[in-house]
Amino acid sequence: MRPEIWLAALSDELRRHGVGPDLAGHVVAEAAAHLRDSGEQPLRAFGAPAAYAAAVADSVGGPVAAARPAGPVRLRAVDIVKRYGRRPVLAGVSLTVRAGQVAAVVGANGSGKSTFLRICAGLAGADGGRVEVHGTIGYCPQAGGTADFLRADEHFALIGAGRGIRRGEALRAGAHAAAALDWRPGPQQSRHLSGGTRQKLNLVLAALGDPDVLLLDEPYQGFDRGTYLDFWHEVWRWRDEGRAVVVVTHLLNQLDRVDVVLDLSASTAGAAA
Amino acid sequence: MDQDRRAQWLRGVLDLCVLGLLARGDSYGYQLAQSLQAAGLGAIQGGTLYPVLLRLQRSGLVTVYWQEGGGGPARKYYRLSPAGHTVLAETAVQWAAFAGGVGAILQERTAR
Repeated sequence: MRPEIWLAALSDELRRHGVGPDLAGHVVAEAAAHLRDSGEQPLRAFGAPAAYAAAVADSVGGPVAAARPAGPVRLRAVDIVKRYGRRPVLAGVSLTVRAGQVAAVVGANGSGKSTFLRICAGLAGADGGRVEVHGTIGYCPQAGGTADFLRADEHFALIGAGRGIRRGEALRAGAHAAAALDWRPGPQQSRHLSGGTRQKLNLVLAALGDPDVLLLDEPYQGFDRGTYLDFWHEVWRWRDEGRAVVVVTHLLNQLDRVDVVLDLSASTAGAAA
Repeated sequence: MDQDRRAQWLRGVLDLCVLGLLARGDSYGYQLAQSLQAAGLGAIQGGTLYPVLLRLQRSGLVTVYWQEGGGGPARKYYRLSPAGHTVLAETAVQWAAFAGGVGAILQERTAR
């Protein structure tokens, strides 16, 4: 097949596979440059147009992700500076997250991920910069955050009350959210729950009352593989509902599906030592 | 070498190899394919390489820009992002441990 014919067929197939015109143009131009540079036969280098278009569509996550417009700004952190004594932890870190977006905060241990999230949540002060939050916040810490001598339903009622939710409604919402994480809360006090189940409780509490901004600090510790996937499904669902979600994570295999990546190892390089 | 086996191995490490090459400097698809071949990984077809590059771009591990080639069409250049540097650094350590384990087992077998 001659390159021009193959490229024209690729263009059609990209459209058929829901790849937007801008990206499709880039993909075709890149393939054309490759064919010209290499002198290879298109079928040998790229395979059939339909198969290659399918691979491209697969790589960019399909048309759904590309078509979704982001909403208004929910969280804006500008030039956040934080020092512990003379040690700079955050040196001018900025992040903007809009409604319907997921941001991942990544970086090595000690790069200030949790500190940054706590500053965004208003739980810790900064030495410089500012945080704007437009809407309500739900915060899920890495550990702790639950009361040892309360049962799960008592947590739901307590946190719900703080957010102006009636008891019955809070219990229903809590049980519903727990079920999405494959957990049926029982009568135990939370000190008797496993670490993973306590984190499920934490996560349910963070999301109770449908806050506009969800700040999640590695909330999946102790989750098994299945629950870990359930957790990310919840994240996508929150995003699709128009919430702004910030996830501190060191697991990077989900990064291809988030909208914003904030890498703290770069901004504080050399500071953590 | 058995082509199927080589393709299987490559599938697990191609994205890392691309990140590693980009750590040396910005590059474009065909040049990356040539570098991979020169490194002894065999011929990488465009149909395999470009979807990997798209995924790296989508995940923010690389950024891209277009630049006119010498008399030819514009080429899409890839550059390692800070997040890409992080992933590369972390995964390189994991890979070294993994490859070391495989090497130790195979070595033991042939030494017998």
